[in-house]
Amino acid sequence: MIEFAATYAGLYFRGLLLGLGLTVAAMAGAFLIGLFVALARLSQRRWLRAAGGAYVALFRGIPPLVLLYLVYFGLPAWAAQVGNPFLIALLGPLDNRLLAATLAFSVNAGAYTTEIIRASIQALPADQMEAAKSIGMTHGLAMRRIVLPQSLRIAFPPLCNEFIVILKGTSLASVIGVTELMRSAQMVAAATFLNLQAYILAAVFYVVAVIVLQTLSSIIELKLLAGTRTGD
Amino acid sequence: MVADDVRYPEVLRIEALGKSFKGTPVLSNVNLTVHRGETVAIIGPSGSGKTTLLRSVNFLTPYDSGKILLNGRLMGYVERGGRLQPDTDANISRLRRSTGMVFQRFALFQHRTVLQNLIEGPVHVLGLSRELACERARTALKTVGLSDKIDQYPARLSGGQQQRVGIARALCMEPDILLFDEPTSALDPELVGEVLSVMRQLRGQNRTMLIVTHEIGFAADVADRVVFMEAGAIVDDRPAREFFGKPKNARIEAFLARHRNERSSSI
Repeated sequence: MIEFAATYAGLYFRGLLLGLGLTVAAMAGAFLIGLFVALARLSQRRWLRAAGGAYVALFRGIPPLVLLYLVYFGLPAWAAQVGNPFLIALLGPLDNRLLAATLAFSVNAGAYTTEIIRASIQALPADQMEAAKSIGMTHGLAMRRIVLPQSLRIAFPPLCNEFIVILKGTSLASVIGVTELMRSAQMVAAATFLNLQAYILAAVFYVVAVIVLQTLSSIIELKLLAGTRTGD
Repeated sequence: MVADDVRYPEVLRIEALGKSFKGTPVLSNVNLTVHRGETVAIIGPSGSGKTTLLRSVNFLTPYDSGKILLNGRLMGYVERGGRLQPDTDANISRLRRSTGMVFQRFALFQHRTVLQNLIEGPVHVLGLSRELACERARTALKTVGLSDKIDQYPARLSGGQQQRVGIARALCMEPDILLFDEPTSALDPELVGEVLSVMRQLRGQNRTMLIVTHEIGFAADVADRVVFMEAGAIVDDRPAREFFGKPKNARIEAFLARHRNERSSSI
């Protein structure tokens, strides 16, 4: 097993790095989606609230694998079939595996991130918004300067958790041929017939990566909370 | 519009104010005027609408009927063709700058130091330079006696200190009227005095103040006028000396007696 690991560690590591890159890109997209949809869900305007709610209901409901197939196989083919040049320009690039995977995971994780950010905004005592307004801030300015900076600190641990969920989810991208960690393991298994070893090594890589990420997030979490807690 | 029996202009005028929460009336036909330099205390049993009235002034709680005029300008609504329509967030925010509010539970920005709490409004709302804002903040901190806490985070301060920072934050906006929402109710008894003494000092500077309080002794001592509320309406509104010297009715007398016994120690 050790010899096996030593032989293929480099290949697996490259796969892991690709998966991490995909995760960072998807998380960035999910965060932007989550921020705006969460603000929509908390808006004064009913239609914005409804649109935000619909987004969450829809994309939390579609399994990521189905979404991945839709985006990668479905959309570019459909655009080509319709033959509309605008649609082809818009959706054609999705026949790129990485781009399709990034979009699918962003949209999927965006639904969860929305709920994380919405809950974090609502977890902040209402008097923070009121105090900001009492010194003459508009709703938008109060959100930007007072509410969101505090809410996103509350959101940080669950967002890290979501990052880990996305990372493990990138293994699904193997089915559309993205050579991330799972895909690397499949190729090694196919070439050596050592299925057990190949997938155990993949599992070990995932576990170690997640432990490292957890540790990092705990350290950052402590830094973010510096000064704002009583005691110590 | 200007009352004829006083020298100072009206900062706040409340006319026939009404407010319901889900069909339950909480304020009905409230009329109140506060002139520049006046200190007005609002007292009364819990649930009588004191806090709702105070929060209507800066429109943190929107009112349903009547008018609130700050320096003669209508708060929260615009008159169009004889009808009142909700004003924009930008306009409401601008008019709010003429008020400063001190909250029962302090409501300091927890992610900011004391100094950052104080310069937030001056810099990002009023557009003052950082230097000027810091100067204001230092002056305000001196007033509330917390110059040494300038770089602390709120969570490291006692309740009394946090409330004094809350007062300083309001002062830094240089508002025309200060609104106090039961500023000592969330404090340990031994911390009440330091906050009241700061407010007494502001009284000495002839600030305009509207104070919702349960500290009857403090109201008797500091307020020019005392407003007594019951069931969403103003029952009495007289100079403090008259108000306490000769209570208007037996219910007010009983209320005062009860509160004098409960808390006579704090001042």
